[in-house]
Amino acid sequence: MDVSNILADHAEKIKSTEVETDTPLDVDAGFLTVTDPNPIDGESYESSLETHLLSLARTGTQALLNALFSLPTTSSPDGPLAQLPAPTTQLPRTKPLPKIKPLTKWEQFAKAKGIQGKSKEKREKKVWDEERQEWINRWGKDAKNKQVEEQWITEVPMNADIDFDPRKAARDERKARVTKNQKQHEANAARAQKTGSSASSNPEREAHKKDLERTLAMSRTSTASMGKFDRKLEGEKKMKGIKRKFDPTEGSVSAESKAALDLLSKMNSDARKTRMTEAQRPSKKSRTSHGGNEVEDPEGKVLNVRKAVRFASKGRGGAALGREREKAGKLGKSGKGKRR
Amino acid sequence: MLRTVKPKNARSKRAMEARQPKEVEDARIAIFVKGTKTGEVLNGVMKDMMALKRPDAISFSKKNVIHPLDAQNTASGSSSMSSLEFWSSKNDASMFVIGQTSKKRPNDLTFVRMFDGKVLDIVEAGVENYVSMESVPGSKSTPGHKPLMHFASELFDTHPRFIQLKSMLMSLFNGEVVESIYLKGLEHVISVSLAPTPATLNTTTESATPLPKVHIRTYTTRLLASGSRIPRVELTPMGPSMDLVLRRHTNPDPELLKQAMRRPKLKKTDVEKGLGKKRKNLDVDEMGDLRGRVHVGKQDLSRLQTRKMKGLKAGAFEDGGDDGAGDSGSDDDEASNKKRKLS
Repeated sequence: MDVSNILADHAEKIKSTEVETDTPLDVDAGFLTVTDPNPIDGESYESSLETHLLSLARTGTQALLNALFSLPTTSSPDGPLAQLPAPTTQLPRTKPLPKIKPLTKWEQFAKAKGIQGKSKEKREKKVWDEERQEWINRWGKDAKNKQVEEQWITEVPMNADIDFDPRKAARDERKARVTKNQKQHEANAARAQKTGSSASSNPEREAHKKDLERTLAMSRTSTASMGKFDRKLEGEKKMKGIKRKFDPTEGSVSAESKAALDLLSKMNSDARKTRMTEAQRPSKKSRTSHGGNEVEDPEGKVLNVRKAVRFASKGRGGAALGREREKAGKLGKSGKGKRR
Repeated sequence: MLRTVKPKNARSKRAMEARQPKEVEDARIAIFVKGTKTGEVLNGVMKDMMALKRPDAISFSKKNVIHPLDAQNTASGSSSMSSLEFWSSKNDASMFVIGQTSKKRPNDLTFVRMFDGKVLDIVEAGVENYVSMESVPGSKSTPGHKPLMHFASELFDTHPRFIQLKSMLMSLFNGEVVESIYLKGLEHVISVSLAPTPATLNTTTESATPLPKVHIRTYTTRLLASGSRIPRVELTPMGPSMDLVLRRHTNPDPELLKQAMRRPKLKKTDVEKGLGKKRKNLDVDEMGDLRGRVHVGKQDLSRLQTRKMKGLKAGAFEDGGDDGAGDSGSDDDEASNKKRKLS
């Protein structure tokens, strides 16, 4: 039996899908692109441009289709759907990469617990209402969420308050839910911003930090040797700008005496800036010329003692105040008395 | 935008969110702008290219004064840059095709690519031998279908100008990363080929030799039956065909380019799928199913546990109940083991 005829006929009908080139064609299936790295044949180019271009394109397209049809496919109602691989050529992006948003409070919890959300079932807008036997909006026009508010009659239980207003109660509930959701949303946004931005944007925190650093610096230098010979703890930062200026030992006498007197006058000037002992205070008191009721406060404010006593005792007088104090003293702060 | 726009209703909020950067990006929207003087050829070219690019294309109807390749320090250069940036932000577009004609540069087509609202790079070319889509008889491809692209010449991999041109054309037509496509929907192919490389062309230095011409042809594909699952393709010319002569260009700013080429980090699921590394031991058979090879290590047959394999015992087939024998046998073994342990 001579099958060669049949084979020849068959071969004529069915054309081959082979692609033969010197260098294999570079197919990027992800971007549906094929690049032919073979140099252009000058002769065929010169002879007939359009046919040369057509044959070149046909070869390239055949190679591309060979690759595309070899991809794994899924069937769909409209025909075979080929799953494309990731593209090989790198093209520049249009916009920069999105910043990774921190997870919301619920998302963190769900992740920790391993809860996977109802991803596929989204909340449908329509809800089936058994009473009316029809589909009603979950929210929006004539919606289910406002039914209790809008209906003209509501069943109220027997033990309810006389002033119970079911409409108002339902409306308040709904509004409360809305505000709660908004608050949670804002809290999530604030948390996202906080983790996103650095500490420099929070002025209070920065101020507190600075305060601490200043106090620390002060405490470190308040030793006898001004913090110079103390051992440094682990993690302490190096002190900056602590320099002590020593005047030359030989200076003018007048300058030295002037400096000493200035210092004394400074010490005497403002009671706030210096700490005075009890012994020092009477010198100040003798200077004042108020009435017997007034006392000069160490801070320099005049205090009307009678007025103060009247206020503290709520009009009852000083003896009443004294009695109160004794009682409080006996009982102690908690009022339970001393334990023996 | 000039000032941050706060959305007033849910619709505008959705529109704003759609414009936020995404990990996997959509196709680039191209704006077709006409310069002060265009001409019939360029009008046709831009109309045809827009038809190929639909629906991600916007055409400006008015003529605009725009010279993107003027130097930045000149008035026209800087104002062109700012116009491009403004149009890009307003229309959420990232590619421009500017058509202009002048005595010095007839039928001048400029491709501009943007990144993050700033101009990334520009390629300018002159159009010659333009054949419009209407003048070619025959059926055309359905608008909106993705084109196949074909680049023919070794210069597209070696010469920097042509690498840039290839990247630009790919961004314009085929830049979108899709997961799957209908094989029946591949209707047309855009073929970009070059004239033969002249011997004096040097890829590294900016030599004075003129660059070979670029031929752009568009064909519709016809799939014919072949012996195997893969059809044989035949092409018929369709659509616009033109020859480009490369003129000026700008190279992208290296810093900006580095940012533009950043890839998102591969997620763990993708690496497990084998995306990060080459997929070994997987291939698709003739039926289109994915087949994998599992390599089991070498088994030391001398140490194989054959005592507990009832099927290998001599009397296994003779008795009726293989299972029964097996169960009782195993129970006996376990019972005896237990007895041994207790004692």
